Amino acid sequence: MERQAVTVWPVAESREDDSLVSAARDGDRAAFGRLYDRYARMVHGILLARVPPREVDDLVQEVFLLALRRLHALRDVSRFGAWLGTITRNRANDYFRKEIPAERVTDPVSEDQAESRTTNRTAELEAKMILALVRALPEAYREPLILRLVEGMTGPEIAERTGLTHGSVRVNLFRGMRLLREKLDEAAGSQGLSAT
Amino acid sequence: MSEKKQTMKDDYLWDRSGKPDPEVQKLEAALGRYRHNQPAPSFEKIRDLRPVKQHWSIFSLRWSYQLGAVAAVVLLAATVFLVLRPKPTENAGPSWAVARLEGTPRVGWHSVGEKSGPVKMGIGQTLVTDGSSRASITLDETGRVEVDAGSRLRLVTNGPGRKRLSLERGTIHATIWAPPGEFVVDTPSAVAVDLGCVYTLHVDDSGAGLLRTTMGWVGFKLNGQESFIPAGAVCKTRPKIGPGTPYMEDAPASFLDALSRFDFESITPAERNALLGILLADARKNDALTIWHLLSRVSDADRQGVYDRLASLAPPPAGVTRNGILRLDRPMLDSWWNSFGFGDIYLWRTYERDWSQHPSTDK
Repeated sequence: MERQAVTVWPVAESREDDSLVSAARDGDRAAFGRLYDRYARMVHGILLARVPPREVDDLVQEVFLLALRRLHALRDVSRFGAWLGTITRNRANDYFRKEIPAERVTDPVSEDQAESRTTNRTAELEAKMILALVRALPEAYREPLILRLVEGMTGPEIAERTGLTHGSVRVNLFRGMRLLREKLDEAAGSQGLSAT
Repeated sequence: MSEKKQTMKDDYLWDRSGKPDPEVQKLEAALGRYRHNQPAPSFEKIRDLRPVKQHWSIFSLRWSYQLGAVAAVVLLAATVFLVLRPKPTENAGPSWAVARLEGTPRVGWHSVGEKSGPVKMGIGQTLVTDGSSRASITLDETGRVEVDAGSRLRLVTNGPGRKRLSLERGTIHATIWAPPGEFVVDTPSAVAVDLGCVYTLHVDDSGAGLLRTTMGWVGFKLNGQESFIPAGAVCKTRPKIGPGTPYMEDAPASFLDALSRFDFESITPAERNALLGILLADARKNDALTIWHLLSRVSDADRQGVYDRLASLAPPPAGVTRNGILRLDRPMLDSWWNSFGFGDIYLWRTYERDWSQHPSTDK
C-alpha cells in the first residue's frame, strides 16, 4: 500500500487546532474526529517507541477514547498536543504494568498474500531489525526519530504537535540519527544490514 | 563531507528540504510499513462518556435493590467460575517451527529429516542436535535461533509476549526482533534477556556459559548480579557464581586475564586488590563498559579508585556526582551507562521487573 508522504506543517493549522479542541470540548464529535486525523500519527509514533508494534493500533484507539473522556478537564486548548502526548506516554507505561494481553489469532492468508510475504521477507526482517535498533536508543532520541522516519512528520511538525521547542526536537533528531547511523554501521558489519 | 553538503543533508532530515539524504530515504522506505494508517473511529456514534447525573426516587430505589440482588448472584457465579475454571497454560502463543539445517536433529521423539519438513516444538520439548546436526527454530513475531551441533535446547514457556528457552548445553545464535525483554534464555549459570537483537550463547558441559553480542545488547542476570553486554562485548558466566564482568573482545590480553581471575577465581583480598590495579591501569576508553560494571562489584573502599578511573575514561554526564556513585545511587549509575550510547537502561529496568515477576523466572 502506498503510504502518505511526509507532510509540511502549515502554521495556520495550530490556530485551527485550537478551534477544533474548543469545539470538541463542547461536545462536537466531528471536531474530535478531525483532531484524530491530525494527531493520530503522533500518538501512534509515541506508542511505537514504547510498546510492541502489534499492540499499537488498538492502543491508539484507547488513547483517543481516553482523551475524549477527559477533554473537559483540559484548560489550555493550545496545549492539546502536549496533553495528548502525556496521556499517550502514560498509557504506554500502563501497558507494561498490566498483564500482557492475549495474543490475537493470526488470520489465515491467501496464496497471493503468502507469496507476497515471502517476497518481502528480507525487507520485512530488515525493517524489524531497524525498528528494534531505534527502539533501543535512549528515550529522548527514539520518539522524534520514529515520528520522523516512521510517521513521516517533519521536524517543525513534531515540535508543533508535541508542544516541544524546535531547538530541542532538532537536537534530539540529529543526535539520535547520528547514534542510529553508528548502530547501523555496527549491524552492517555483523549482519549485512545497511542503511546506505 | 563539506559543511555545506552536511547542512543540506541535515535540512532533509529536519524538514525534507535540501538535497535528499539517501540513508534517511532508505530508513523512511524501510520503516514506512509501520506508519499509522487506521481511519478515525466514528466518534459521533460513541455515546456520551461523561458521568450522568442520577435522579433517585422511591421507585428507582426499589429497582436498585432488585438489581443489586441480581448483581450479587452474578458476582458469586463469576467468582466460582474464576476459581474453578481450568487455568490457562503458558502455551498460548503460536508454535516454534524447527527446521533442519544439517544432519538429523530431534524434537522429543521426532526426527527432523531432510524430507520431513519443519516440526512444531511444544512446551517442555527439547531440541537435540548431535555432533553432526544443526537446526533452526523460528517464531514469526519473535525471531530466529540457529542451534549448533551438540546442543540441547528446551522450550520452557511460549506465552504471549514472553518466550523462554533453556539452553542446557551447546551453542545458539539468536536473531531477535521481538520487543526487548520478551525473549529469555535460561542457562545453568545465568539468565540471558534479549534487549534487541543478535547474539551467540554457548554453554559447556560444566554449565559455564559465554555470551557474545554482535548487535543491540543483552542483559545477563543471576541472583541480583546483572551484566549488560552491548555489541562487540562478551560475558562469561559460571555455575553458582553467575555472570562475570562483560568486556570488549579486543581488550588487551593482560586485562582479560586479570578480569577472568577477578571474577571467577578464589583469591585473597591482596590478590584481588592487585588484579583490580591491573584492570584500572590497563583499561582503555573502550573498556569503560567493564569499569562501569566494577563500580558495583568492588568494596566501598575500592570504589573511589574505580570511579576516578572511569571518570577519566568517560566523564560522568551532568547530574552524576562522585558522592552519588560512591553510594551506588541507581539513577546516577543508569545515567552514566546511558551516556555510553550502548542502549537505554530504562529498557532493562522496565522489562527486567516484568520478567522477574514471573513465578519461575527469577533464578
